[in-house]
Amino acid sequence: MNVLIVDDEPLARERLAAMLAEIDDVTVVGEAGNGRDALDALARLRPDVVLLDIRMPVMDGLEAARHLGTLERPPAMIFCTAYEDHALAAFEANAVDYLVKPVRSERLRSALAKARRWTGEHARGVQSALEPGRKRTHLCARVRGSLVLVPVAEIDYLLAEDKYVVVHHAKGEVLIEEPLKALEDEFEGRFVRIHRNCLVALTKLAGLTRAPDGRLLANVEGVTAELEVSRRNLPVLRKLVRTL
Amino acid sequence: MKPQTSRSRPAQGDASIPTWLPHFCSAPTLFAVMIVAELVALVVVLAPGMEVRAWLPRLGVVSVYVQWLALLNAVVLCSLRRQLEPLQARSGFLLAWVISVLVTALASAVVCRMDQTLGLQLTIAESSTWRFVFGNSAICALIAAALLRYLFVLEQWRERVRAASKARFEALQARIRPHFLFNSMNTIASLIRTRPAEAERTVEDLADLFRAALGADDALGTLGEELDLVERYLHIEQLRLGERLKVEIDVADLPRDLSVPRLMLQPLIENAVYHGIQPRADGGVVSMSGRRLPGGIEIVVRNPLPPDAPPSRNGVSLANTRARIEYHFGTRGELRVEPGPEIYTVNVRLPETPIR
Repeated sequence: MNVLIVDDEPLARERLAAMLAEIDDVTVVGEAGNGRDALDALARLRPDVVLLDIRMPVMDGLEAARHLGTLERPPAMIFCTAYEDHALAAFEANAVDYLVKPVRSERLRSALAKARRWTGEHARGVQSALEPGRKRTHLCARVRGSLVLVPVAEIDYLLAEDKYVVVHHAKGEVLIEEPLKALEDEFEGRFVRIHRNCLVALTKLAGLTRAPDGRLLANVEGVTAELEVSRRNLPVLRKLVRTL
Repeated sequence: MKPQTSRSRPAQGDASIPTWLPHFCSAPTLFAVMIVAELVALVVVLAPGMEVRAWLPRLGVVSVYVQWLALLNAVVLCSLRRQLEPLQARSGFLLAWVISVLVTALASAVVCRMDQTLGLQLTIAESSTWRFVFGNSAICALIAAALLRYLFVLEQWRERVRAASKARFEALQARIRPHFLFNSMNTIASLIRTRPAEAERTVEDLADLFRAALGADDALGTLGEELDLVERYLHIEQLRLGERLKVEIDVADLPRDLSVPRLMLQPLIENAVYHGIQPRADGGVVSMSGRRLPGGIEIVVRNPLPPDAPPSRNGVSLANTRARIEYHFGTRGELRVEPGPEIYTVNVRLPETPIR
């Protein structure tokens, strides 16, 4: 069984690795210091089990679990935490197990035994168990079986196309399968709607210009594409632009 | 404290809301009412000028009557609780008092009339019905006022004790972040395998920190002790966070024997690590520098801010430290916060001598 250790404290990783080394047929395939690095390493390492710390910089364990849940074949997730977090309660039913630090060897063994009987269905349950009020720090797209993460802070605009949303960000674009309305609600205050099919990052909005054909376009920093403003969203947008 | 760790519990029923109206239906209150009623009965029977003959049967009759009145009042006030509760303490108090006087007057009149009709002669001659009713009402007015007041004060006192112990517990929790404790334990567990000497030192550091945190009161310590504590704390955090935490300390210039409030510096450094280093993937530098000023000292603590930092950080421990500096140094000591865009700075200035 291949295990990935995710914790921001080097000594905590060291201890888990040492304990896992004593268990037969378990191989530590890698370590990561935060949720984002873990997801980046996932495609390469293909772990069966991920030991996830809850509190980590950049992306915490709960969000990482949520993204992992979108995979075709998610690994089994075991949460580790220093102190009982109330957020964890929602996960208990769906995570394989959760361990409190310092982790006991017996508990680690029993959690791994449970992980063997784990199916991906549970992992997808993790996704729905997340509190509705929680905002993700990253959006996650599946590209050829692996996960591509886009920090929400780097998104320029979101454009709905058919049943997808195209995420345009600083380094390119990715497709995600989420309704635009849900994104608008989750990241309220970060994006502003300029059209039925388009949300623009507030921090990137530079102003409005009128095209020669009379259409009103939103100027977004570093973006050359024409983003049309609908009449319906204009009043709110005008007010916003005035305060820029 | 961070909101994650201070789980907010729903208020426990009515207990957390201070109430001016005693629970007349509760057994202890009812018992108190009955005791007071019996005392009144005794006073009435023993009062000089009363006939001394056959005082025992008379006590029985008076007791039954007074107890009945007292319970009647208790039941009435208990059943009107819902209507009385929303009122202001002062007007509600007055209303409850008036109600009990009226109930007594009415009950006395009814009893008197019944007595006369049945001819039992337990109460008083027909001619003085009004005296009987008035006397009872007056006694009730005096006793009810005293009893309501007493029960109210008792309830307030209980509430205060509850609040004080709750505040003490919360203060204790705020001083010791549970995450820090358990993560440190985990660090030690990890070190024992590979670096036992380091583990030993960490246990000693942790013990010192907890001794200080659990024993800290409003007394003064020395700046030297505070600086040692900061060093111990940073040692643990550096083990925990590894290369992510870099420390720059320049305090050689500071007088180590200066009097300062206990546990004044360590929480500032803890805040810097907790809010500035931990949320950053690549960590950063926490710096503390101190220098002498004419008539005092200045200590500056700096930490970087994580990208996407919330605009203001939790001010509980800062407010606590500031309050204690103010207590000990008056307006001559100050704690100033300069939240820059990338660096967060806390500036503490203290005079050479405390006023308390």
